[in-house]
Amino acid sequence: MLNLFLTAFVAAFLGAGMKRPFLFVLAYTYIDIVGPQKVTWGFLAHVPVSLIAFTCAFVGWMVADNKDGIRFSPRQLVLLALLIYCGVTTKLADFPVEAADKWAWVWKALVFATFLPLTLRTKLRIEALVLVMVLSVGVIVIGGGIKTLASGGGGYGELKLLVNDNTGLYEGSIISAVAICVIPLALWLARYGTIFKPSWMATLFAWGICFACILMPVGTQARTGLICVAVLGVMMLRSTKRRLTYISLVTIAGLVAVPLLPQSFTERMSTIGNHAADQSASTRLEVWKWTMDYAHAHPFGGGFNAFLQNEVSYETVKADYAGANNAVIQKERIVEKARAYHSSYFEMLGEQGYPGLGLWLLLHVMGVVQMEVLRRRYAKDPPEGFAWVTPLADALQQAQIVYLIGGAFVGIALQPFCYMLVGLQCGLSAYMGRVRRTVPMPFRTVRKTPAPAPSPARLETSA
Amino acid sequence: MIDIFTVVVPHALMALAVWRLLARDDLDQDPHLPAKAEGFRRKPVRSRDA
Repeated sequence: MLNLFLTAFVAAFLGAGMKRPFLFVLAYTYIDIVGPQKVTWGFLAHVPVSLIAFTCAFVGWMVADNKDGIRFSPRQLVLLALLIYCGVTTKLADFPVEAADKWAWVWKALVFATFLPLTLRTKLRIEALVLVMVLSVGVIVIGGGIKTLASGGGGYGELKLLVNDNTGLYEGSIISAVAICVIPLALWLARYGTIFKPSWMATLFAWGICFACILMPVGTQARTGLICVAVLGVMMLRSTKRRLTYISLVTIAGLVAVPLLPQSFTERMSTIGNHAADQSASTRLEVWKWTMDYAHAHPFGGGFNAFLQNEVSYETVKADYAGANNAVIQKERIVEKARAYHSSYFEMLGEQGYPGLGLWLLLHVMGVVQMEVLRRRYAKDPPEGFAWVTPLADALQQAQIVYLIGGAFVGIALQPFCYMLVGLQCGLSAYMGRVRRTVPMPFRTVRKTPAPAPSPARLETSA
Repeated sequence: MIDIFTVVVPHALMALAVWRLLARDDLDQDPHLPAKAEGFRRKPVRSRDA
């Protein structure tokens, strides 16, 4: 039944694209996030639906879309440079076969992020993309949230999401970070949406999605998610008007939530500050040290999955207290091989070297600055019909900063969803650029000229 | 049951969104940007006087 439902949905989505080609772009976005071919074992699992949707999106844009005023932005050029550079490192990779496996999905994410801004020509397209991204993540987090409420998640790596293969967005740490990125976008849709206009139902659903997103770090027990929640909480303080009310509400919510959290969650979160006793955190630190040494020796990186050659050893220290002054210190030497980076920054450094890390940082820092410029430009007295710009730039900036900070503890440097956010930012910026070039008033500040002095003749008449 | 709920609700909303988008002219032509004929869909301009 589920097979039939998803197959019919994908077919209908692609069919709608025949009438309005931009819908192919939305179909690809949905397929890339949800992966209906992973959810079902039926027809969809045997058809390259992702490739079909992307081909349709590109051909539809080439044949039927208006391309007036389209410009390639500097960020798209950085994306292209990163794509070419990653292609070269894949050819020269330490593990060519394993590197090719990762390259197979990385190039699609980078190409789509470069292509996406070219299609985002109207405000409605931008909104539609945000909506499909939020609802697609909703397919994963709604169930995850309900299961967390029902069972508490069951421990790290135990939460069974819709697809139980621990890849892509279905991996616990990744979804716990990405889900938090979605919160500001869902709140923006509830306030400024035109497909689903602001109403109590839209607000209720948006709050429901946000609640499910916040539950993801609890259910997956991924510490990264808790850090992301804290970062978003602080950043939202900046954009909220009633700050005291916001702080009070967040404090009350925290006080109410803490006693309700599962004990396994609070125990795991308490290890954030004590990495010496925690094997997972100690492994990360050792892998990061190994990556820095590796980058010194190989400044251009080792290609995708270069971590497969690492071998780290360290000691964990545990103290068992039998009284106030009586503790038994236990040390254990751990040796591990081929451990993943668990950090986007070290992932880029180890796999793509200093140039790759530089391009990646440039791409994301440019995004934060670009959104800051937009949010400030339209913050005060926005022109009629553009009150949505600053809040959207704000939401996209918050999502990206959550991604950048969460990415310090999880390897999502080239996660396709994050590159959709990049494409969305480029699209918004390009759209506002076109509007500014088209409409001279009131987007451009008009130089105020002093009122002409009355002529002597007129002065004489009035005298 | 939970999995069916998590699949059906967002998909139903996406289907409704796509249905609404099909009827929206501003999906392809932004009201704040000048109207231009599109690619192969260029239609001849007919004069009302003719």
